[in-house]
Amino acid sequence: MSRAIDTIIVPRSGVINFDERRCLECRECEVACSLYHEKECNPSLSRIQIDFDDFIPRFPRIQICKQCDWPSCYYACLSIHKEPAIYIDERTGARVIDEDKCMGCGACASACPLMPERAVIKYKEEGRRRIYFKCDLCKDRENGPICVEVCPTKALTFVTAEQRRKR
Amino acid sequence: MAEIYGWTGKILRVDLSRRKITTIDTMKYVPKLIGGVGVAAMIAWEEITPDIGPFDPENRLMIMVGPLTGTLASGAGRVEVLAVAPQMHPPRFSRSGMGGHWGPELKYAGFDGIVVQGKAKKPVYIWINDGDVEILSAKDIWGLGTYATTKTLRSIHGDKTRVICCGPAGENLSRIAVIQTETENAAGQGGFGGVMGSKNLKAIAVRGTGGVKIARPEEFLDICLKQSREGLRPTKPSSDSGWPSEKVLAGPNFRRHKCGFCSTVCTNTIYMDIQGEVFPTLYTTEQMCYGYRTTSHNAQIEARVLTSNYGINGWEVSYGIIPWLQLCRQHGLIKEIDGFEIPAPDKPIKYYRDCAPVPPEFLAMLLRKIAYREGPIGDALSDGACYAAEKLFGGKGKRLLDRIYPGHWGQVEHWGGHWGPGGRAYWPWWLPPVLQWCMDTRDPASDTTHSWTSHVQWYLPKIGPYRGPFSLEKVRAVSKKVYGDPNVCDPFIEYDPPEARAIPAIWHTDRGMVVDSLILCDYEHPRVFSMLSEDGSADTAIMAKLFSACTGIDMSEHEMQKAGERIFNLLRAIDIRNYGRCRKVDEEPIDVGFHYPGKDDGVVLDKQKFLRLMDKYYELRGWNKENGWPTREKLEELDLKEVADELEKIGRLG
Repeated sequence: MSRAIDTIIVPRSGVINFDERRCLECRECEVACSLYHEKECNPSLSRIQIDFDDFIPRFPRIQICKQCDWPSCYYACLSIHKEPAIYIDERTGARVIDEDKCMGCGACASACPLMPERAVIKYKEEGRRRIYFKCDLCKDRENGPICVEVCPTKALTFVTAEQRRKR
Repeated sequence: MAEIYGWTGKILRVDLSRRKITTIDTMKYVPKLIGGVGVAAMIAWEEITPDIGPFDPENRLMIMVGPLTGTLASGAGRVEVLAVAPQMHPPRFSRSGMGGHWGPELKYAGFDGIVVQGKAKKPVYIWINDGDVEILSAKDIWGLGTYATTKTLRSIHGDKTRVICCGPAGENLSRIAVIQTETENAAGQGGFGGVMGSKNLKAIAVRGTGGVKIARPEEFLDICLKQSREGLRPTKPSSDSGWPSEKVLAGPNFRRHKCGFCSTVCTNTIYMDIQGEVFPTLYTTEQMCYGYRTTSHNAQIEARVLTSNYGINGWEVSYGIIPWLQLCRQHGLIKEIDGFEIPAPDKPIKYYRDCAPVPPEFLAMLLRKIAYREGPIGDALSDGACYAAEKLFGGKGKRLLDRIYPGHWGQVEHWGGHWGPGGRAYWPWWLPPVLQWCMDTRDPASDTTHSWTSHVQWYLPKIGPYRGPFSLEKVRAVSKKVYGDPNVCDPFIEYDPPEARAIPAIWHTDRGMVVDSLILCDYEHPRVFSMLSEDGSADTAIMAKLFSACTGIDMSEHEMQKAGERIFNLLRAIDIRNYGRCRKVDEEPIDVGFHYPGKDDGVVLDKQKFLRLMDKYYELRGWNKENGWPTREKLEELDLKEVADELEKIGRLG
């Protein structure tokens, strides 16, 4: 490596916050996400996942990208590929995987500190090609993230980069 | 083959006797019959002959989902179960629904439904893993409660596995056994848990990682975000904060939850760690509709856990069996069960509200006896009060069923303004529900009645205790637009003109069939009024729009309504061919069940005038009003020529 990639400071991102005490486990966020991004209702292709078991006495838990200040996935992609697939969205700050550029190496998923127990970077297969995907905060959507809009109890909220707590 | 959207294209068939697993093509039945109840009705018409009883191996247990199941459309988490129903008295082909997460999981595994026939030699369960289907031994889970069954199957197949199962009640062929999923969702009415038990089928476990393909995703998403979340109560999104959200937050030992894939306002509570009074359990849940009249809140939720775990229909126990036992006590037929005195109030029981609270110890004892058919009393009550009344007390308890069970058909009066459970329904709003009770093959309240009663009452200016947001002029204008008759929602019209009461009975039944076939939630659809439009009418085409955007097959609102009518006529035809349904049977609930003053208004049904409402109902339905059978003309108009031919062959064509 000619320079230390992980010293590149990236702009802070917005993020989706989750209030476990408001969540009703309806999973509308999961199907809304896959419908918006993948044109089908399929929780396996969703960038957000709610884990719960009504037989276990605890609040539901969320699996979604935290849009880290120090994004390991981004650095991993940058350090391996000449034309990295992960970039920082200007408007929201989201760490985004460009699906056209993704080579399917999986370095981002391996680097993510939340993986593997929280599936925040997943992949789909198109023919023999693996394409990784993760939450992009619905960067091009006027009304913000679809999961936040669809949540019936406002358990999900969108916090912008500016609103996020100072470093 | 063209791409299929909405449906998966396959219905699973499992023959437990021959251990044979096959699939059939969904597209053979749709879009004509939509899915869900519609498809199951056609399979029943083709395969269930009059001699097949509820516990016979040849009974078809059909657990169906629809084209919208597992999508973003609010209420898309539901399942419909159909079979010859042991709870019905006498048994007939009937249906029941449940929410939860199992239905979408089945869809994601690649199926539009399961049809189970035959009987396994030894207890088995079915394991469906993304299109791979196995029949596995249930040796280790037979005899367990529904909670332990679910947890065991999750420990074997992974914690994302969704399970439906029967409890000990189903294994013991109780006629009031439910099919249970998760902690509290159940297909309750009908007794389909016993049908599972009779097939030696303990559970169906599913894991699916596929999805539901949407033909026009942008359009579908737009409808879901803007309209699909409205619900039945007057509500609308505000400009700044969007749709109103649930106000209740979780507490230290409870959280709120709801069925999967739904975003309207309606939740239940899960108590995560509460000291029990009957049994100490970790997770106890509150159910949407039914409850026990007991001594404390803790006793209440613990009793409901017992009910769910045994897999018993709590509705029947709470609103039917216990009141009937109290009535029997008042009439000196029985005093105690196993040393537990049956509580009874001092004054005569006229309505459910008059019943005495029941101590938790009594409930625990009664539920155990029902689940395991313990002793002659438990054995009899395990079949529900209508069957028990024939066995116990030399038949002397039969007439005491009159106020509780319309027509003694096996299901408790509900939303019809008389006995008690369900919402309040004021005169004259209970006339259409009573008509529906006369015509249907189950308690119609759960899927076709309350969209009418709750809707009119919550929107109208002043009916009973309600104060809705709309003026009478507005209501009449909406009625004209939606039903084609301004009188339909007019509270000052009673029996005349009869159309005003027959039209909504038919409209809501047919729309209910559409809801049951898509499948959406009957707590949300169909809608009549809305706060979203200028004129106050709901977009009644919303189900057709969701269907069209999802499947890519354009269906107008009118065609959708026709499909609903087709499905109800098909269910009627099954009832006529197999069980001799006719006008004489339709009239049974008038003298038994609806013959006494309404609970909220004291109004008594006028039989002669009501018979004229029935005449109008048959006329508008295109059924012969002498015998209540559909005419050839009507059946052919609904594209059911083969049904007309067969009915004609047995001389039961109207």
